Amino acid sequence: MNVAASMQRSEILDRVLHDYRGVADSLPGGGSAHSARERAAGQLADLGWPSARDEYWRYANLRAFERSVYRPATVSSAQSAATLSALQRQGALPAPIEGFERLIYLDGVLVAGARSAAQSDTQANGWDWDWPAELRLGLLCDMFARDAARLYVHGTAAIEVLFLTSPAAAGAAVYPRLQLQLAAGSQMQLIERHLGDPEAPTLVACNVTIDMGRGANLRHYRLQQCGRQIAFTDTLWARLAEQAIYNVRGMTFGAGTARTSARVQLAGRGAGVDWQAIAAGRGEQVHDTALKVEHGAPDTRTDETFRGIADERARLAFSGRIQISADATGSQAHQSLKGLIEGKGAEIDLRPQLEINTHEVRAVHGATTGRLDENLLFYLLSRGLERQEARTLLKWAFLGDVLRSIDVPDLRAEAERLAAGQLPDVPALVALP
Amino acid sequence: MSDTTPGAPLLEVRDLHVRVGGQAVLKGVSLSVRAGEVHALMGPNGSGKSTLAFVLAGRPGYEITGGSASFEGRDLLALAPEDRARAGLFLGFQYPVEIPGVNNAYLLKAALNAARRERALPELDAFEFLSLVRAKTQLMHIDESFLGRAVNEGFSGGEKKRNEILQMLVLEPKLALLDETDSGLDIDAMKIVANGINSLRTADRSIVLVTHYQRLLEYVVPDFVHVLAGGRILRSGDRSLALELERRGYDWLSEPAAA
Repeated sequence: MNVAASMQRSEILDRVLHDYRGVADSLPGGGSAHSARERAAGQLADLGWPSARDEYWRYANLRAFERSVYRPATVSSAQSAATLSALQRQGALPAPIEGFERLIYLDGVLVAGARSAAQSDTQANGWDWDWPAELRLGLLCDMFARDAARLYVHGTAAIEVLFLTSPAAAGAAVYPRLQLQLAAGSQMQLIERHLGDPEAPTLVACNVTIDMGRGANLRHYRLQQCGRQIAFTDTLWARLAEQAIYNVRGMTFGAGTARTSARVQLAGRGAGVDWQAIAAGRGEQVHDTALKVEHGAPDTRTDETFRGIADERARLAFSGRIQISADATGSQAHQSLKGLIEGKGAEIDLRPQLEINTHEVRAVHGATTGRLDENLLFYLLSRGLERQEARTLLKWAFLGDVLRSIDVPDLRAEAERLAAGQLPDVPALVALP
Repeated sequence: MSDTTPGAPLLEVRDLHVRVGGQAVLKGVSLSVRAGEVHALMGPNGSGKSTLAFVLAGRPGYEITGGSASFEGRDLLALAPEDRARAGLFLGFQYPVEIPGVNNAYLLKAALNAARRERALPELDAFEFLSLVRAKTQLMHIDESFLGRAVNEGFSGGEKKRNEILQMLVLEPKLALLDETDSGLDIDAMKIVANGINSLRTADRSIVLVTHYQRLLEYVVPDFVHVLAGGRILRSGDRSLALELERRGYDWLSEPAAA
């Protein structure tokens, strides 16, 4: 290795920092916000730009991010308002989900929804997360974000946050930011949805922080359906106190390149995470997730499921690392990663990793990647089903467990529609049971 | 072109040779099954019984090196598995596969409507389908809730076999190849399965039972019994042959019987 690659990484970092310096004084927020941005820039400079030689970034399509422009899109509020009304007029926004309050962020700035509910502001509160190296792309958002959805939840809440990237952001970058704090015993359903289809390459770099108090319960639905011109990276960090339960349903369908870096800390006794994700890629799409769960307390629990289908020349990767510390006695970890390769040029890389530092645990993991099971296919054919229908049924069934676990009916229907759109022959069978 | 001449064989297998992974498994099997007949195909482990059933149903992975098989006069081996099924051939699996995420009722309805399209019959709507399927589930002592579950997922061995027969009853094939449908069944389940099979016995429908033991044949009485060993049919006879096999085992059949 090479000096050339190292120099190249350093050049990219210089470019990021150069873009930052160019806009730092014009970014919103007071002195403390500015200090937080500076601190993030300093951290990124110290950590350096990630390298594909690092196991953690091995399957990420870093090149797509390296080609990006980091300067945030600056869209005037008048322009945003006009874009939003145009989208509403055209019926281009997703239908509202019943029972959910909706907030809309256009190019990273709140444009619709109650600011009181969103507590959205640009102050530095909550910017005290020291992103570790594996989450370093989260620092981009800390540096550049112009707004944040900051949600404090007491009692119960159901909120949908739409992060839209408008055509006006084409060729620049958008920094969606979501900060959640759940009080002890609170319950929240949160839909986080990323969409937008600019006509030129655009970076969307999102970060999400979640702080869950004792016994808090969060059902977090994440739906990424951006257009192919978008290079999408999201960085998520969740900390769970005692008995807190975090349920994630992740659905990645969009963007030309998408990278999810996530860290879940089970810091209190009895905390648990149930992370179920699907990805469906086609064309040249690259979808890559690196999830790390840290069991730091006794009786903590992880359930991790990933199902990915790669069609045409798509590349998918899921790296699930579960660390169980010496203190985390009585913990349970269950990991099931499965990939289905449909395209001749497609690739799927699954990496289950268990790191166990105590004896008193129950841990099961498994990962399989392959093509459609010929035995299952033959069984359906032997019942007279058309070959195409049989293949479609099996592909659909492959994603079915995760899709069926989406317990918001309108959202599930929407997720099924989007999944069907990613599988070339499924639309004919949209009414599948 | 279909051959519907009365008495003409529904299934005609002639001198069939099949290799699997370079090994000859079927070495010249001939079998003629006419409409309305029930044949039992018996033989020791590894004799080629399941291979024959799979080859006739069109499972990939088998190299046919010689011979022929026709169904109603059509070249069976030239048809895709789904076309064989729609033409009226049904394979009951020895080890029915589990298909997580595919609903039993969906599969049954899709399969039935595919068969009905083939017969130029109108497709059944949900209500018609349910009323048809309900009666069959009762006959097979299958709880209706099974219809809403994934195909064979979490089913016991006996439930899987009963589900195979349920599918057969819904599809009403012209020829059913039942590969060791009796294996793993207790006596009560065996009676239920036999009852299901017998309910399908008509003058225009044929059944080939692949089995190790003659126990099932007490309940589904065959017209013909064949012994397949070493890739060939060594002997054919009536029901008494099965009883003889029960008494004497297979070893005495070292030489092919005279025609």
